[in-house]
Amino acid sequence: MSDRRFRIFRWRAVGPLLLFLLILVVLWVLFADRIARREAASNLSETLGTEVDIASLRIREADAAVDIGGLAIADPRDRMRNLIEAGTITVDLDPVPLTEKKIVIDQLRLSGLRFLTGRKTPARPADPNSPAGKLLRETEQWVQDKFQFPKLALGRIDTVKSLVLNPEQLGTVKAAKTLLGTVDSTRDAFEQGLAALELKSLVDSSTALANQLAKTDPKTLGLTGVRNSVTSVQKAIDRIKQAKGSLQTLEQTAKSSLGELQKGLQDVNAARLKDYAFARGLLQLPSLDAPDIGASLFGQQSTDYFQQALYYAKIVQRYVPPGLQPWNRPGPKRTRLAGTTVEFPKEKEYPRFLLRQGDIDLALGSAAQNTFKASFAGITSQPALLGRPATLVARGRVGGDSPVSIDLSAMSRHFGSSPRDSLVARVAGVSLPAIPFPGLPFSVSPGKSTLGFGFSLAGDRLTGMWEISSDQVAWKADSARLQGASLVESTVWRVISGLSELQVRAELGGTIDKPTLKVRSNLDDAIATRLQGLVGEELVKAEQKARAAVDQLVSQQVAALDTKVNELQSQALARLPVERGQLDGAQQQLEAQLKRLAGAATGGLKLPKL
Amino acid sequence: MLTLLKLLQSLFQTLHSEGTPGQVAAGIVLGAGIGLTPLLSAHNLVLFAAIVLLNVSFGGGMLGLALFTPVGFVLDPVFDRIGVALLDAPGLRTLWTDWYNLPLVPYTNFNNSVTLGSFVVWLASTVPLYFLAKWAIARYRASYGQKVMNSKFMKGLKASKAYNVYSWFRPQ
Repeated sequence: MSDRRFRIFRWRAVGPLLLFLLILVVLWVLFADRIARREAASNLSETLGTEVDIASLRIREADAAVDIGGLAIADPRDRMRNLIEAGTITVDLDPVPLTEKKIVIDQLRLSGLRFLTGRKTPARPADPNSPAGKLLRETEQWVQDKFQFPKLALGRIDTVKSLVLNPEQLGTVKAAKTLLGTVDSTRDAFEQGLAALELKSLVDSSTALANQLAKTDPKTLGLTGVRNSVTSVQKAIDRIKQAKGSLQTLEQTAKSSLGELQKGLQDVNAARLKDYAFARGLLQLPSLDAPDIGASLFGQQSTDYFQQALYYAKIVQRYVPPGLQPWNRPGPKRTRLAGTTVEFPKEKEYPRFLLRQGDIDLALGSAAQNTFKASFAGITSQPALLGRPATLVARGRVGGDSPVSIDLSAMSRHFGSSPRDSLVARVAGVSLPAIPFPGLPFSVSPGKSTLGFGFSLAGDRLTGMWEISSDQVAWKADSARLQGASLVESTVWRVISGLSELQVRAELGGTIDKPTLKVRSNLDDAIATRLQGLVGEELVKAEQKARAAVDQLVSQQVAALDTKVNELQSQALARLPVERGQLDGAQQQLEAQLKRLAGAATGGLKLPKL
Repeated sequence: MLTLLKLLQSLFQTLHSEGTPGQVAAGIVLGAGIGLTPLLSAHNLVLFAAIVLLNVSFGGGMLGLALFTPVGFVLDPVFDRIGVALLDAPGLRTLWTDWYNLPLVPYTNFNNSVTLGSFVVWLASTVPLYFLAKWAIARYRASYGQKVMNSKFMKGLKASKAYNVYSWFRPQ
């Protein structure tokens, strides 16, 4: 019977369970490195929006460390190029946070770092629906939407070319129509407001009362009659005062509306200037202003740099949220639905990811030739827990015969009132790749140059700068295209091909919604002067033609609108004083009668002497 | 095909095992926990250890796993909604925050909406599922059990080596 006694535990199954656990351990030993390598590459690829390859990964459980070899991060904008390659990476982990499924790296050593290296096989494009893929598209679209540069790649300046404009294309026509409606509604509102005051009847009745009293001897009215008359006069005066108050309000409203109409006229004129530019664009005229030439030549290159910087700043913003609020992110990829994984950061606890300290060695030249030191610290997924910004500092000189000096500092501050990500870099002696000029049949190879770059994103505010300085530039032309080049293009080529110096500076400002970009180069004035000398006269003619085409369509409307607004203004402002004067007159008459009545009422009384 | 055969083998062996209907039902309930929730979570290791170590039907556990895994896939959107509602509930935020910062607990992936939702649904259904399974097994044994037990298929099944391994986990 004792065998039939119910037992809670099945002790003889402990053996098979231990065997099962042993199998799990063996599987871990055999496959953990491979799985971790695949997962790390996959997660990094998804986060950065580009292919990330890891050649090897070894977990050293006893040392709580990981060795990574052959890390390559592809350039999301050029599939045949790696942005960064790292020879070896050694990661020393803090084992305690691992029990909370958190990764805290005490020390990370990165050696054999290379930048912008070629790839043997093209990188896989980012999943367009991934967060990083979307951010890349957003920032590319941002550049397209917010920046338009004047073109220098033009055909011949053709003043004979007919220019037919459709009135519907012109902003002036639309603005004038809108303003015309506003003028009419303003006039109607003014007339209705004035009519509602019923000033004429008030003035008439008040004057009639005053006249009637003037003809009456107060002594014949008796005390009650005088009292009634005084009351009537006082009420009439009150009505006049009330009407004057309303008239003043109406005057203020009218002045405000007229101010808006004047502003509307200014908007119409601004639209007209835009229409001139539009018509000018149809004639494909080059801009010969020096700042426009800088933007034509280097605007594209500038926005290219700033777009990349904004993309990475946005990625940082996405994955490093400020504050300590729960943070939702997509769940792990699996056969089952991924769902949403929520992180619940807590003060005085470990963040989900923290890199306390990292050091970088470059792979250029021998150790003796390098005085380069780079380090980064405080990189975390929850900066509010750490309470200090993530920093990267790199400084020194690398290479022997042709040394490159680097001075770089970056900071990401995602806690406190306003998050801020910034980078400042200056690299001297670096050979830069050729810069093509959009639409023009030539490019410039800056050679050994000094490159400066700065970028900052603080909330919505953008600040950026890039500059290049070189005295060893080489100009390259597509000879076949150059032979058939226009006058403008061949003139530009003649100017720049004689120069050996290149200095460009671009400055980004404003907000993400309203960015501003100024680009200047040492080529601007030289090209502008030369082009103005060559084609300035033709250009003036063409400009006049563009203006005339717009004026033909809009002048009459704008002039009529101008007259209408001015008429309304003069009529309204002239009418109000007349109305006020009539009210004043009636009030004075009534007050005179009031005084007379009061004198009569107190005539028989001896007032005490003061 | 082999998987299907093994499933059948497990099913029949479970239904005719020497375990009481209660032991088989308890196994099914624990197996359902593994089947309903996403597999790679620490709590499933605990559930598996419970099926092995507790005196419940191991076959019942495997049967529960086999039956409820497809159910889990189908109900994932429901689990997700329940999980999101629980994780976003302001009243529970302190609890989740404490758990998130405890050792080992985060390995259960409780902070994933599907894992939490499916686990909560499983937890809520354990008692009704236990009684339903217990009733169904008792009824089966009373009506069809003996006939199936004497069938050639079942005799062949019992003669196989797999049955010997299975018998290690047979309820006592």
